[in-house]
Amino acid sequence: MHHKVVVVGGNRIPFAKAGGPYAQASNHDMLTAALDGLVARTGLSGSRVGEVAGGAVLKHPNDFNLTREAVLSSALSPLTPACDLQQACATGLETTMYIANKIALGQLDSGIAAGVDSASDAPITVSDPLRRILLEASRARSAKQRIAAFAKIRPSHLAPLAPRVAEPRTGLSMGEHQALTTTRWGITREAQDELAAASHHRLAEAWDRGFFDDLVTPYLRVAKDALLRPDTSVERLAALKPAFGGPDGTMTAGNSTALSDGAAATLLATEEWAAEHHLTPWARIVDAEVAAVDHPAGEDLLLAPVGATGRLLARQGLTVDDIDLFEIHEAFASTVLATLEAWQDEDYCRDLGLDGAIGTLDRARLNVAGSSLAVGHPFAATGARIVPTLAKLLHERGPGSRGLISVCAAGGQGVVAILEAV
Amino acid sequence: MPAAVERPVERLDGLPAMGASFARALVPSRKGEARVPSHAVRVEGVRQDLDRLAEYSRVCGYTLRNAVPATWIHVLTFPLHVSLLGDRRSSVRLVGAVHASNSMTMHRAVATAEALDLEVHAEGLRPHARGAMLDLVGTASVDGETVWEGVSTYLVAGMRVPGEPAPVEREPFDPQPPLALWRLAPDLGRRYRRVSQDPNPIHTNRVAAKAFGFARPIIHGMWTHAHALAALEGRHGESYSAHVAFVKPVLLPSTVGFRATAHAEGLDAAVTTRDGSKPHLLMSVRRAS
Repeated sequence: MHHKVVVVGGNRIPFAKAGGPYAQASNHDMLTAALDGLVARTGLSGSRVGEVAGGAVLKHPNDFNLTREAVLSSALSPLTPACDLQQACATGLETTMYIANKIALGQLDSGIAAGVDSASDAPITVSDPLRRILLEASRARSAKQRIAAFAKIRPSHLAPLAPRVAEPRTGLSMGEHQALTTTRWGITREAQDELAAASHHRLAEAWDRGFFDDLVTPYLRVAKDALLRPDTSVERLAALKPAFGGPDGTMTAGNSTALSDGAAATLLATEEWAAEHHLTPWARIVDAEVAAVDHPAGEDLLLAPVGATGRLLARQGLTVDDIDLFEIHEAFASTVLATLEAWQDEDYCRDLGLDGAIGTLDRARLNVAGSSLAVGHPFAATGARIVPTLAKLLHERGPGSRGLISVCAAGGQGVVAILEAV
Repeated sequence: MPAAVERPVERLDGLPAMGASFARALVPSRKGEARVPSHAVRVEGVRQDLDRLAEYSRVCGYTLRNAVPATWIHVLTFPLHVSLLGDRRSSVRLVGAVHASNSMTMHRAVATAEALDLEVHAEGLRPHARGAMLDLVGTASVDGETVWEGVSTYLVAGMRVPGEPAPVEREPFDPQPPLALWRLAPDLGRRYRRVSQDPNPIHTNRVAAKAFGFARPIIHGMWTHAHALAALEGRHGESYSAHVAFVKPVLLPSTVGFRATAHAEGLDAAVTTRDGSKPHLLMSVRRAS
């Protein structure tokens, strides 16, 4: 990279369970709130930022320019361009890399990466046969043709369709896929519940010490992540019934992420731009890597980041021991645990084309301020939540501290990035 | 602002239901001398209904934010307008009174979580060439701090106030092509009625509209104001003043023009006929000090 790209701030609204306090808020509303909080905190009101990249996984057709429209509603200058990107649950990390790469190439000197999702305000569409009939009717050149088209409508066509969280090629939901991975890697219920409890406790500690005071802005009467259960425990989580993997399954509502609503944004810039705007750089973006697995052929849907992690560390000449903090997105507790198992599995890593096992992680360095199980996971927002969180954590540890972000995504994909404190 | 006047305050336990007081307010003004109550009506600790705010925002075109729009607080004070003019001591009735202009100031951002103390009184009863004019002055406060002020000026045709009417100042208007077109659907009056809880039938019913001299129902002036302000959201800062003159009602359904210009003092906007030749509403927005 030619120019050093630094993370100089971040803002999100508290995340909340779908159908909860943000049930009436749209992606546009939440993304605007996240942007305006960031603009207020960084003193950019009325300023033209180089570019804003955002996105949502569950998106209404009318929102084709979601991010640009949110910019126009925000306090940013209307001369700020914006685009929408989508990379499933890794959207917020992919928008970060899109902006970072442009800054690195000298095309921008500042930009905002963002993501938003509302599982409450999900788009509902008409069935495919009905959609085709309506299109045919709109193309009709005579009343007779139009009537002929409408005559094809059957009662079964009229049921509205909500978006499905299932993989198109396997028909399995993400939870069902992860249940296969959980069994394959022998991840126990107890280990999953321990990880989930730790996520809540660490998020609660981070809130208590004021860590999120300059990372979160209240929204619609919610001041703190609404899914957070500071008093949860392994014992309480052990009482929950399995949600995936049948009656003997180990995955529950407690150790799986809830459908969530929220938005997050992070401000990236060159060091010079940050200095001109009197903003403190927290960490620089070092590098990133994407990867995919062949899940239709039976590979673990959510373990694509393993290959990306191995290749990225090798390219940077780093090992697990050179990384101070790890942020592995908690799609499910068992996703994180299977990822860690895979990292230390010599054969698995060699099959991915790596030179050998990635290494063994000291869990004290993992998700130290909590992660998606406790915060919630509005799909596209998660990456844009993690980037400023990790950047600030690294900044607290001092210059040279390194962190790695690993985010799995639908379609058997994953994005991994390395940050280093400046 | 005129000097503060000590006036009796009638405290209400909650915002009055619109049914009974509106029924009284519906009785048209009798011709004769205009009288308005000298007391203020006040209701404390009004919690904002988030579902209603969300629906209000969708109908008016606002982004649902943590800071609420000035026009939303006007809507919250509206039952107090109705209650005040529904009082026996008032010879002026709200129905038949024409909302001529409106001024509001947001002194600071008001969050959705804040409970508001709302107060409304009438003042400035004065003669007008076509009858009488008066101001309904509202405030919203939080812990004694005034966060919002609104002045709604009404013209009551045919009523008398002693004295000579002051010359009417016309707001300047420069015909120009609109920058945007608003296509207003026939059910807009119904949708805005639900969120504003203003049941005046001239906004929803053709017969009622005809009775008041309109060919079709007209959209609420405060919707037009809100939609114009929504078009400028993000541009006016957290504390601002908005002044509008309601020049000519907008019939439903219809297509109207909109344009806005920014300059050193603030933002000026106009809702016009489709071709931009005649104004429906003129608005100016200024940063509040």
